[in-house]
Amino acid sequence: MSTQASNKQPCRLGSGGVIDRTQTRSFRFDGKRYEGYAGDTLASALLANGIRLVGRSFKYHRPRGILSAGPEEPNALVELRAGARREPNTRATVAELYHGLEARSQNRWPSLAFDLLSVNGLVSPALVAGFYYKTFMWPASFWEKLYEPLIRRAAGLGRAAGHEDPDHYEKAFAFCDLLVIGGGPAGLSAALAAGRSGARVILCDEDFRLGGRLLTEKREIDARAGSEWIADALAELASMPDVTIMPRSTVYGVYDHGIYGVVERVSDHLPVPSAHQPRQRAWRINARRAILAAGAIERPIVFAGNDTPGVMLAGAVRAYLNRYGVLPGRQAVVFTTGDDGWATARDLAAAGASVSAIVDPRREIDSALTLLAGKIGARVITGVVASASGGRALRSITVREASGREHSIPCDLLAVSNGWNPTLHLTSHQNTRPVWDESIHAFVPDALPAGLAVAGSAAGRLSLAQALEDGARLGAEAASACGFTPRAEMQPPKTDPESLGLSPVWRVKGGKGKAFVDFQNDVTDGDIELAAREGFKPVEHLKRYTTLGMATDQGKTSNIAGLAIMAEQTAKTIPQTGTTIFRPPYTPVAIGALAGHHRARDFRPTRLSPTHDWSREQGAVFVEAGPWLRAQYYPRPGESDWLTTVNREVRAVRSTVGICDVSTLGKIDIQGADAAEFLERVYINGWKALPVGKARYGLMLREDGFVMDDGTTSRLSETHFLMTTTTANAGKVMQHLEFCHQVLWPDLDVAMVSVSEQWAQASIAGPKARAVLQGVVDPQHDLSNEAFPYLAARAVTVGGGLPARLFRISFSGELAYELAVPAEQGEAMMRALMAAGAEHGITPYGTEALGVMRIEKGHVAGNELSGQTTARDLGLGKMMSSKKDYVGRLMAKRAALVEADRPIFVGFRPVNRSERLRAGAHFIGIGKAATMENDEGYMTSVAYSPHLGHWMGLGLLRNGQARIGERVRAFDPVRNGDIEVEICNPVFLDPEGARLHG
Amino acid sequence: MADATTAIWAPRSAWAGILHEGHIGLAGSTSITIAARDGLGIASLIAPAAGEAALAEAVKAAFGLDLPATPAIARAGHHAAVWAGPGQWLLLAETRSGFSDALQALSGVAAVAEQSSGRAALRLSGPRIRDALAKGCMLDLHPVAFPVGMAALTSIAHIGVHLWRAQDCPEGAVFEIMVARSFAGSFWSWLSASVAEFGCDIVASGASIGRG
Repeated sequence: MSTQASNKQPCRLGSGGVIDRTQTRSFRFDGKRYEGYAGDTLASALLANGIRLVGRSFKYHRPRGILSAGPEEPNALVELRAGARREPNTRATVAELYHGLEARSQNRWPSLAFDLLSVNGLVSPALVAGFYYKTFMWPASFWEKLYEPLIRRAAGLGRAAGHEDPDHYEKAFAFCDLLVIGGGPAGLSAALAAGRSGARVILCDEDFRLGGRLLTEKREIDARAGSEWIADALAELASMPDVTIMPRSTVYGVYDHGIYGVVERVSDHLPVPSAHQPRQRAWRINARRAILAAGAIERPIVFAGNDTPGVMLAGAVRAYLNRYGVLPGRQAVVFTTGDDGWATARDLAAAGASVSAIVDPRREIDSALTLLAGKIGARVITGVVASASGGRALRSITVREASGREHSIPCDLLAVSNGWNPTLHLTSHQNTRPVWDESIHAFVPDALPAGLAVAGSAAGRLSLAQALEDGARLGAEAASACGFTPRAEMQPPKTDPESLGLSPVWRVKGGKGKAFVDFQNDVTDGDIELAAREGFKPVEHLKRYTTLGMATDQGKTSNIAGLAIMAEQTAKTIPQTGTTIFRPPYTPVAIGALAGHHRARDFRPTRLSPTHDWSREQGAVFVEAGPWLRAQYYPRPGESDWLTTVNREVRAVRSTVGICDVSTLGKIDIQGADAAEFLERVYINGWKALPVGKARYGLMLREDGFVMDDGTTSRLSETHFLMTTTTANAGKVMQHLEFCHQVLWPDLDVAMVSVSEQWAQASIAGPKARAVLQGVVDPQHDLSNEAFPYLAARAVTVGGGLPARLFRISFSGELAYELAVPAEQGEAMMRALMAAGAEHGITPYGTEALGVMRIEKGHVAGNELSGQTTARDLGLGKMMSSKKDYVGRLMAKRAALVEADRPIFVGFRPVNRSERLRAGAHFIGIGKAATMENDEGYMTSVAYSPHLGHWMGLGLLRNGQARIGERVRAFDPVRNGDIEVEICNPVFLDPEGARLHG
Repeated sequence: MADATTAIWAPRSAWAGILHEGHIGLAGSTSITIAARDGLGIASLIAPAAGEAALAEAVKAAFGLDLPATPAIARAGHHAAVWAGPGQWLLLAETRSGFSDALQALSGVAAVAEQSSGRAALRLSGPRIRDALAKGCMLDLHPVAFPVGMAALTSIAHIGVHLWRAQDCPEGAVFEIMVARSFAGSFWSWLSASVAEFGCDIVASGASIGRG
């Protein structure tokens, strides 16, 4: 194989790789146009074009290149896409190339090649570990105004789009017998073994192409190319109806009970999602068993200048050569501490690169390897690389031989190999720690989440043969555990020989320049030493103090070196030093994917009343009331503000008639021989004597004696009641009743069911209410005051025999009724009422006018039923029956709840009638200071009364009932309000109730 | 009353203004079909303590139905009964006519409450319907886990739903699903987004309850 010096992709090999050379993909990096192929990542396409400098580092703004070929990449973070789709911190090594891709380097100003903030590298003594804590301590105000903005500008990694995301996202749920995590040789073997038994299998791989490391290595299985084995496996899996292959899908978290979080990048490889496709989909997969076959991540070596663009992991070099057909350098040196790195020298030479040296500190090297070195003309040096230099691109390295002699070798690529860490992150998501395995010098999984097994490299079994064997065995075991019969074991496939000798070097001291442990966070070996000197020795402290292992890569390439240096500083071993634990997510997950469909208006469901469309037709302005949208007021042309509208609506009701939708109130159907007894126990007042055909106001308490909810309940027959609740508490009251029945009194013969949705209900209020109803309710029903008195509640018919219910109840204090019809006739009911009331000027009114009228009448509502008020506080103490027991009775008698000094419900009006009242204002004695000690309560509700011609308020005032006639300050510092108010009876209008009974 | 007056009392479907006949989503493909189920008679039945046997007997006598003891739907003629919790069922009728009278027969043996107007029901079918439901339904609807006739009370997109699997149709699985009427708009917002990638036809109501 030889390099083809194409102008367009100067570092693309003439052949090889699993890219599609017939499919050109053009893209832009920092505004300049390049070309790659389908099957490339952004990283491989950049390398094919000879681009090595792709970003600047976080703290020191050092030039950085591409280190890896996978999700562990700490350096090559770019901004992908433009405009509203701009996405910062995207790893170029996993970004699939598409036509028109736009990427920009990050963290550089004004340009990537010339970065002004790289002077940070010169002032680096100020930016060492813990600099946040040390440098900017004083004075405090400088932090907010000066230090933080400066640091933010200098240290940001990428910029968010700043616009609403134009794409949509989804959530989805899936179920399987076996979830296989990773589609390399181990994962494919596992899926095959389980799939052949008939088990439901899902295989997820974060890559867009399945095969794992087998794609990147020149390996043979049963004397055939690895690629052929992959193709066969995928074809067989595709033929199984209950096997699902999910590429571009990262399993990011392991949760209780076999639940796995997965993000599927449905459209990230396209310029914009295809029609009706989401950008990403967050899956929750319920798996009876799972096999982690996520492979392993190669480790760099810490030496001076090890972050110079051109220093690359040896396995990544093989990936670029073999998978992408890209030559990452022409004059290469390999620095390896194990046999694995030698394969890189072999593959580089085969691709036409000159490998001038293989540096390996081990004194004894397998003769087959040294023979190979001879064949490719590479010098074998027993020693280490002490430093790399070149600034924006590697120019040379300094080798230190075992004798201590140092010399320099020119090169443009240094492939580094220091052994592999099993990708075991998911195994510790349930708080189990991995253990150190001396044989491979790495942490391996120990205790595992229930149902999870680990195969191949992820388990520390790093050879291809072990991967294939583990997968097949564990896949069959998982199938058996789920009740399937795996096929008789076939002979495991034969693989070509491989050697895994390793003697890692954690760092090379004494080189010239900074030696990086964590590239992404710019943590050097010196920072680890500093942390040790300053006492931040435990791994968790080390992490927080130095930021080692934080940010998008979570230390995938850096943790072990950091631990090793800390171990050396504290004269301990790595296992004694310990390791931090991995938490979800394995790689970053977009918030959009977690939100799915539920954003903006769909953040939560909206409930619409059966009369909603009618109200909209009437021009209603709607207000959110819990999940409901309710008509707040109905402005007419020429009305300039809401108060004008509300005043008109209130006047209309009090002078003629108005209608208001009350369908949103909770309605609970209660039936059974013990239904009355049940109500006795949940309400504070009496129910047994309520005659059939009558309604009564009821108040219920929580177990702790505070008021829970109120409403009217009607007796439809001896054994049948209809309870209404407030809109806000409908669900809570239903739960409470179910609890009372199922847990407290299961012996009562009573059944309850919500009928809130079945009935549309309207309030018809005003002196002409009866006249209007007579035009709607079928004529055989006598609605006269005698036949249908206050609090009557009966079934009637409308529209010639349609079922309806009529209740003579009033919240406004007027002659008023509530008419209920099946929800599907709700809109018709409103139209019928409007038609019947036309001659009286019937007026639709909303929740605002409703609120004004209830305040005029001194009725309590949501603001007063705050969960902190007792029946006595609300002036309803007399309702508390002494003849029976009920929920909350005893607790309501607690000393503090019956103190005379408690805030009690009363009315207020401004002494200067022209002044406006404000809800939330606190009451303070006249002439007293506005302090917490002098606080005597607060205003709960206020409204302007068009009848009184001034503002009125309801509130809770210490010993309020006894102080009617006194004055207090209503102090409202939030809105600069401080006025005198007069304490009064909370019933402002018609205290005798003459209107009600009219 | 005169016809002119009664006309204004015509029922309004819970899906009025929400569901429109036609095609939505991926053009040129129909992997899902949706039909509104308007006009069903629906009533909740709750058996009194120790009264389940009497209720079962009465339901059998009145409708020929065997009340299911597990989350499932039972069908007989124009009626069906869906499990709705321990000791609770929804009685379904193809039409409203005579439904209220029929319920009278049960009033002595159960707490009966008509809910015909309070539910919004849909019939969902097609080869990709399970994939669309998987975007919100947290239950396993695979045939091995959710056979024909099985029912469930669960939630989708934060909305309580009652769903069951009807007889398969030639195009694939069939599910019937009910939500509370006030949630119809929000439910449709989720469902229409979830079926879009598969292509979906919205058709007039057709088959009977529980049948393919």
